[in-house]
Amino acid sequence: MSARHAFVLLCAASLAGIGAARADPLPPDTTYRPLPTMPLSRARALDEAQKPQVMERQRALLERRYDLSDQPRQGMMMSGGTKPVQDGVRVKLPEGSSWDALAGMAPAEIREQGLLPQGFLPLPHVKQATGGQVFPELQIDAIAQQEQRDLRRFDVEADLPVHLTPEFPPPIFLTTQPQLGDVSRGELLTIRNYYEIMNGLITPVQMEGLRLLLTPFPQEEFNQTEDRKVAQPSLGVACLDCHSNFHSNAAFHLTPDVRPQANRFRLDTTSLRGMFNQQIHGSKRSLRSIEDFTEFEQRTAYFNGDHVSATRKGVNLPDRPNQVAMMAQMQNIIDFPPAPKLDPFGRLDPALASESELAGEQVFLGKGRCAECHRPETAFMDNQMHDLKLERFYKPGQVANDMVTLPDGPIKTFTLRGIKDSPPYLHDGRLLTLADTVEYFNLVLSTRLTQDEKDDLLAYLLTL
Amino acid sequence: MTRIAAFLLGAALTAAPALAQIGNPAGMAPDTRLDEPGKPAPHQTNTQDRLFAQLAAAGGLAEVQLGEMARDKAEAESVRDFAAMMVEDHGAANARLAELAEAVRIPLPQEPAPDQQALRERLEAAERTAFDLAYVRAQVVEHQKTAQLLAWEVGQGQDGEIQRFAAEQLPVVLGHLEQAQRLNAELSGAGGPAR
Repeated sequence: MSARHAFVLLCAASLAGIGAARADPLPPDTTYRPLPTMPLSRARALDEAQKPQVMERQRALLERRYDLSDQPRQGMMMSGGTKPVQDGVRVKLPEGSSWDALAGMAPAEIREQGLLPQGFLPLPHVKQATGGQVFPELQIDAIAQQEQRDLRRFDVEADLPVHLTPEFPPPIFLTTQPQLGDVSRGELLTIRNYYEIMNGLITPVQMEGLRLLLTPFPQEEFNQTEDRKVAQPSLGVACLDCHSNFHSNAAFHLTPDVRPQANRFRLDTTSLRGMFNQQIHGSKRSLRSIEDFTEFEQRTAYFNGDHVSATRKGVNLPDRPNQVAMMAQMQNIIDFPPAPKLDPFGRLDPALASESELAGEQVFLGKGRCAECHRPETAFMDNQMHDLKLERFYKPGQVANDMVTLPDGPIKTFTLRGIKDSPPYLHDGRLLTLADTVEYFNLVLSTRLTQDEKDDLLAYLLTL
Repeated sequence: MTRIAAFLLGAALTAAPALAQIGNPAGMAPDTRLDEPGKPAPHQTNTQDRLFAQLAAAGGLAEVQLGEMARDKAEAESVRDFAAMMVEDHGAANARLAELAEAVRIPLPQEPAPDQQALRERLEAAERTAFDLAYVRAQVVEHQKTAQLLAWEVGQGQDGEIQRFAAEQLPVVLGHLEQAQRLNAELSGAGGPAR
């Protein structure tokens, strides 16, 4: 073929529009973060003025959906012994309905009549349009005191009452030092105290990983630019600002994996306990190693999955062979809290468990169908993502506090080990107590449990 | 009177959550007039509102035009019914959007976008079952794009009324999308919607 022929063919191809897009793409900020248009001082003044309305709107939504009262379960504390586990179903039923009546209805009936309890729907961020990381007061105060670093946003604050969140600071258990039990000394690990607390307990490599996990780096709302949501230019946030003591403090965020902004679902901070047994990471991304996750979070948890914005605000990219490996190795020695009633296969020891707990285990393994994903022999996970298809029960597309209520799609199976320590529940924290999770799954999986079976199942979950 | 007042109050309370759109002020136009600190006065549009109105109006026009064509031309009754629903639903939405745009003086396009016009030409050339399938497949794509566009306005817009319009349209458009997916499954044997 001569050069001339080739040229003619090339022209013909371009005339026919081969390879050329035929329509206008959607606007750029359907995918990318827009640059701010307002000076910081003015944006801040407006944010501060809006804040009472923002918090009131969220409080009203929570009150509509849940009973937020403080009702501890008698004699049941979280693993560190500093906070009671909350009791009771907190999701409110639609007027005139009952849990049994709902469980007896077909999904389509519930959908058509709009009877799905609102607390089962995805939970919005306090300020969906802005989103970003929001820290609870306890974390803000502890970091301010120890590091003189400001984690307080001027536009929003955490929305859940403190009794519905994990104990703070949570205990730390190491796979490498099981004989020591909780090694936290009741302290929150920070860049100031970690060496004193951990020297002698962990290896040099783990120590360096820990230092990096406690070192603040620029983040979307905490940085030096006019686009920040913190009063003073900020050094940023650390991994363990959300994953306090490698657990969770119920800080929340929006998923980095969905656009446009209004469609992004809320993320409740995941515990890092038992990371050594977890094969997939990220509710949507299914990253295949903790190394992959650790490396990439600087552009996702920190910058919403927008590497363009990350580059502008000063992303820190840890180097894979050294820093990432050490951070991963530190995370991989964080154990679950002890569960003395479980045998080596994750099954209850009949000599130690109560009758109700044993009955609950049978519900878990059988009629309740919990163990089909939360497999006891693999730390109550299956390392899969599943779609519960909640949208069978509601019509998608309704807007709640500026968030579009949409199907969740597949989400990874979370472990249930130490689950009583990790309220709120589900990836977005929409369920406040374990009793709520029992009702949720009873409905979604159509398992029709009796009240006794629900009570036993709950007693069992508390042993894990 | 008390009863009417109580009813109105009830309606206001129910509607309250939808009324309170609260955007990120960092993205507001710097000259936005405020009712009170932090709260833009009514009818304060930003660039996104104005672009949304343009795109939604063009898309709505295309929906009505294509729907009119398909209502008469489609072979399958189910497709003709769907097309009639598009004419009705999008016609009503277009009228509402025109009112909202008028209130804030956004000039709206009088014609569909170029790609929608090209689609129309392609559909005009198609016949019988090939037309049905081409129409339905194009409807899937158009409603996918519209759903994302509406969610974008909910998140990035500034004029509460236009945002509310987008929020109200979203479940409707997602419903249309689901029906278009079902029709596509029916006509082509493709997989239907997830649910």
